[in-house]
Amino acid sequence: MKSRALVVLVALMAAVLTAAGCGGGGSAGSGTSGSTGGEGAGQSAILRLGTTNYIDSLNPFNYIESQAYNAFIMIFPQLVQYKYENGKYTFEGDWAESWSHTPDGKTWTFKVRPGGKWSDGKPLTAEDAAWTINTTVKFASGPTAVAASALNHVKNAEAPDPTTLVIHYEAPIGNTLAQLEQFFVLPKHVWQQYAEGDGKGLKTYHPEQDVSNMVTAGAYTVKEYTKKGRTVFIPDPNFWGPPSNAQAVALIYYTNSDAMIEDLKQGNLDWVDQVPFNAIDVVKEDPNIETVEVPGAETTNITWNSNPRKPTNRELLDPRVKKALSMCIDRQKIIDVVFAGYADTVESIVGHISSLENPNLGPLEHDCDAGNAMLDQLGYKRGPDGTRIAPATTGQYAQPAHPMRYRIMQPTSLDFNGKRSFDIVKEGFAQAGVDVSLWIGGDATAAYAIETGDPCDPAKNQGYDKFDIAMWDWVGYIDPDFMLSVLTKGQWCSWSDTGYDNPAYDKLYDQQGTEIDPERRKEIVYRMQQIVYDDFAYTQLTNHKFVDAHRKEWDGFQTALSAYSKAYYTAPHQVG
Amino acid sequence: MRGADYVLKRIFFAIVTVFVAITLNFVLFRALPGDAIQSLRCRQCTEQFKEALRHDLGLDKSKWEQYKLYLQDLAHGDLGDSLRTQKAVRSELWEPIRNTLAMVALGTVFSIILGVVVGVVSAWRRGTFADRAGLWTGLTFYSMPPQWLGLMIVLFVASSIGLPTSGISDPSLGILTEPSGWTLFVDRLKHMILPAATLGLVLFGEYAIIVRSAMLETLGEDYVLTARAKGLSNWATVWRHGLRNALLPVITLIALSLGLIIGGSITIEYVFSYPGIGLQVVEAIDQRDFPILQGAFLLLTFAVILFNLLADLLYFKLDPRITT
Repeated sequence: MKSRALVVLVALMAAVLTAAGCGGGGSAGSGTSGSTGGEGAGQSAILRLGTTNYIDSLNPFNYIESQAYNAFIMIFPQLVQYKYENGKYTFEGDWAESWSHTPDGKTWTFKVRPGGKWSDGKPLTAEDAAWTINTTVKFASGPTAVAASALNHVKNAEAPDPTTLVIHYEAPIGNTLAQLEQFFVLPKHVWQQYAEGDGKGLKTYHPEQDVSNMVTAGAYTVKEYTKKGRTVFIPDPNFWGPPSNAQAVALIYYTNSDAMIEDLKQGNLDWVDQVPFNAIDVVKEDPNIETVEVPGAETTNITWNSNPRKPTNRELLDPRVKKALSMCIDRQKIIDVVFAGYADTVESIVGHISSLENPNLGPLEHDCDAGNAMLDQLGYKRGPDGTRIAPATTGQYAQPAHPMRYRIMQPTSLDFNGKRSFDIVKEGFAQAGVDVSLWIGGDATAAYAIETGDPCDPAKNQGYDKFDIAMWDWVGYIDPDFMLSVLTKGQWCSWSDTGYDNPAYDKLYDQQGTEIDPERRKEIVYRMQQIVYDDFAYTQLTNHKFVDAHRKEWDGFQTALSAYSKAYYTAPHQVG
Repeated sequence: MRGADYVLKRIFFAIVTVFVAITLNFVLFRALPGDAIQSLRCRQCTEQFKEALRHDLGLDKSKWEQYKLYLQDLAHGDLGDSLRTQKAVRSELWEPIRNTLAMVALGTVFSIILGVVVGVVSAWRRGTFADRAGLWTGLTFYSMPPQWLGLMIVLFVASSIGLPTSGISDPSLGILTEPSGWTLFVDRLKHMILPAATLGLVLFGEYAIIVRSAMLETLGEDYVLTARAKGLSNWATVWRHGLRNALLPVITLIALSLGLIIGGSITIEYVFSYPGIGLQVVEAIDQRDFPILQGAFLLLTFAVILFNLLADLLYFKLDPRITT
């Protein structure tokens, strides 16, 4: 019996160990204590970056998460990118060496670096850029809509020679470089097969499913990709800019931010690109870790379904109702509880990061008594259980009287504590006599599809009919164009998460795009922000700070260039 | 002959249960109102696209035809394709299952050894400090939510013993050079220890309490008294006459819980970002990837049925009385 038991035990352990040794790879992980990123201490300099935000796609025509956008910056050529000096963002060439434009501002010529190569050895030329631009413009109202806002008002592009790119605009625009900074050049010889017919292949192509054959050209190539695991970036030897100081960058996704911070403290990670807010003070106390705090680009909000044709709960289209409810939300409590004080209130959709944030909006006061008074005045009486009743309406969109009881949709991909924010919002709405419950919308793709509706077709005014309220966030840009674009009808079924449909607003959007006088553009942009604010397409909640933390064995971090430049990954270097 | 009857009967019941589980798995995902494509969330999914997908998945056929097709595919080991990746469900689930099995097996072996030792010592030293310590330790761990225990281990234990808290491999492993088999093995083992220990500690509590209880019963039996009277050593009395007879309920419990553990390790895998079947199920729910969910549920159901069958067969081996 003894020997049999021993045999069983040994067999069992052998099975475990075999599985352990041969188990699947490609996953999140953490490293050996004290290593600076090598497969043995000091062997190499792999920059190990921890994150709770994952790369959802490596297709620039079909992504949502900001970590994906950051990956595009690292692996695709951009004409220009941002640099950050003396507290200011300015432009510098990335793949483009120089640029000029005609006096009427309608034709821009870029001289790109000669001798470039894609990762498969094929030449990288201006023809790739021209093809990407023309293809994106061609399918702008369909498969390429996600990337098209960077090329607003572009008529076409041509490449007279391998190093010259000429872009023709319908009208001069005031923010050409800021727009083109968000444009990624794709390899024509790979992508053109997906642009046939209606171009849907451009959106459904999943390069991340086979990164060994993914063709890139930039600071890095992708050696390995696991959506919710490890993504490995290897320096591209053909890169034209300052090369990566690290021999590789390993981006590690964590489901648990406490584990991520623990790994940073132990030395299993070198860098965390957004420290969870409740851990910032703890990390700051660690003598081996340095934190860097810069103004953040991410704002959180309540997203109101603003589709004028939404079939139910149409009382939520009334800006006065939305304002009254918003006045019951204690935004300072969200800042204190969820963001541990590392956030500010924000009123504009463009956020504090924008150079053209309208400072004259609001501020929205936290005054629930006034909010309740507004709702009383509007005729939303409280029912026997304290929940207000929306009166019956008549006409094309008639609806019966019903209790003001709604679901708030949240994606599971929030990189901050969305549930706690929801609890505070729920508390505020309850004080206003409105009952809300949480609707878990799934990952970013699934949640976005709930917002846009399914099917969604702007030409038929179809979509935005499934949800009433959502809570999510936006990561804005320095130039406000993109954030303003998400409220246009042109972004229906793409970036629009509200279904907002206001032709007057769309007209202003076009105007600001072609206004080359900075002061006049500022005036239009301010007006647009005021319209969105007054219509309560969003209730802006917070603008949180961007706090990253790295171990002191590394230096040279360009925190302010997160999602703005290849230097974000290439600049960090080991100390000593 | 009776023994063979018993074994055949158990296997027959297991097969019937598997068939019922397969049918329920079909009903759960297909026979209810709507279909997977209706709940699929993708931006710009046109009706034509959905219809094409429905056709590909055979969802445009009658339910009965779908059921026949489903059984036919299963008989060939085909669990369908993932809606998100278009890869075979079988291959999508294989790696996570291997990862989970290794971790669960390590945790279970740890919990069985610790649980049996603590349970036996507690029973043998009934009423002493050792008994009270064992009992309360077992109760404490048994009542802890696994995810909370995991989090405490991450925050307060991991750094002091220098073990990684997340994932299944070192972030830098295999990037610049190909690691040796031994390096890979040690690395995997290190990453498995904390999640396995979390699982093991929770299970240990349960096992220790059951072993103690079963041991107390057997130690009060006449044959144990006889053994002592014969002058057998304490060890021999406990091991040969006590523990072996007390193992029946323990084996049942272990076998019953093994199947559930595999599915129930979801929260532990989430805390430790451990890429097992639990995380895969969470992601499939997130992405509304019903073929993956259906495949995972089916495999987890098989696991429960298989371990139940094993328990029945072990029972037969350990206690021949059940056939009489």
